Amino acid sequence: MKRGMLATWARTLIVQASWNYDRMVGIGVAYAMEPLLRDLPGGRTNGRYAAALKRVAGFFNAHPYLTGMAAGALARVEYDGVPEAQADRLRRALIGPLGSVGDQLVWAGWLPMSVAVGLIVAVLVSVPAGVVSLLILYNVLHLGLRSWGLAAGWRAGIGVAGQLAGRVMHGGLRFSAAAAPFAIGVALPLVASWLLADFGGSERLGAGVVGLVGLLLARVLAPTLSGVRLGLLFLGTAILAAWLWR
Amino acid sequence: MTDGFWWLLLWGTIAGLDLVSAGQVMVGRPLVAGTLAGVLAGDPAAGAMVGVTLELFALELLPVGGARYPDYGPAAVAGAATAAGVPGVLGLGPAVAVALVVGYLGERTVQIVRRGNSADARRNRVGLDAGDPACLRRVHLRGMLRDAIRALLVTVFGLALAEVVRRWLPLDLRGAVLVGTVAVGAAFAVAAAGALRLVGRGGGRAWLAAGLVIGAAWVMAR
Repeated sequence: MKRGMLATWARTLIVQASWNYDRMVGIGVAYAMEPLLRDLPGGRTNGRYAAALKRVAGFFNAHPYLTGMAAGALARVEYDGVPEAQADRLRRALIGPLGSVGDQLVWAGWLPMSVAVGLIVAVLVSVPAGVVSLLILYNVLHLGLRSWGLAAGWRAGIGVAGQLAGRVMHGGLRFSAAAAPFAIGVALPLVASWLLADFGGSERLGAGVVGLVGLLLARVLAPTLSGVRLGLLFLGTAILAAWLWR
Repeated sequence: MTDGFWWLLLWGTIAGLDLVSAGQVMVGRPLVAGTLAGVLAGDPAAGAMVGVTLELFALELLPVGGARYPDYGPAAVAGAATAAGVPGVLGLGPAVAVALVVGYLGERTVQIVRRGNSADARRNRVGLDAGDPACLRRVHLRGMLRDAIRALLVTVFGLALAEVVRRWLPLDLRGAVLVGTVAVGAAFAVAAAGALRLVGRGGGRAWLAAGLVIGAAWVMAR
């Protein structure tokens, strides 16, 4: 294993700490890849060391779990002596794919699926078991993706884009696109029956009516209204009504 | 003061940091944060119920890039602290209301931290643009500190609001049931809307429908 790899991996865990609107995750990726650059011939006095950090600390964006892939690949091209202009083109070219693949695979697939499985286990077994299921299931992919991405980026260097087009990645995207909605579908009725178990018949009917009105509001009448705002609107009204009704 | 205040404060801060800055291992998800907060506040069942309900609200989130989204970790901690010790489902409505206020505040404070990070990066442009590793480290770790302070303050606010609501929210039994009913209904509305948004118009709808049929059959068979 390349020296500095473990430190880079650990630093990707806090890669978004300095996320900002000007450079997005650029500073974090530069901070993460720095240990990989220390062994460049001449070490920190090699001009490419500072030039690489400067390039990456500018604007850069990617899914956080795939920033290791970018750090690995961008560090590798420095060792391979790839011309700086080409290294910069690679940096810019990685932004789109590393963002969209990660978002589709993790945020729109694996995360909702893991949460839904956690909810199902919470209802059918116990809530602590649901918590453990969520954390284990989610982090198997999460930590695996971080590790694989860093190793694949370092191995492939300038050809890193090919790693994203592999069969495993395509299979993962297809699987999570189907598994997430299916798991959510199974979870919703189970959670409804669990949450409403201690409510009376009229309250269950009331919750159903509120749910349908809320869905209508969220999908048709005010689709830009976020969930938290919709919840605040409904609960604020309910608290006011309950106070007046005393 | 809420039972287990200092532990809840620590847990809320960790959960808030997990949202973006550190780990993202999902300990800040409401199911996780709420359940453990219930244990810390001395009422695991209340924490679990608040965590499950808030998880429905959080299901709609796609935390992509610079999107704005509520911070449900400290929110779940505050919610669990609100519901702890209140019998049955009577604490659920006020707890969810407190959690949503805290979640919304968390969303706003994340923007403040990001603007602070931008200003810091601009102030240190010379060092960053020279590829100075010490400057990089300082700017990056200051961002982390900023977010830790944010998560801490949001949790303090949440626990204080929980205490105020527990003592002074003027709800009788009937009112508490009404607010709880609306909380559960709203949670399902948000979860269903989020699920429909997630699947879009493609084949995902068929998978969602299949899941719903199986889930409903499972409920009836139990």
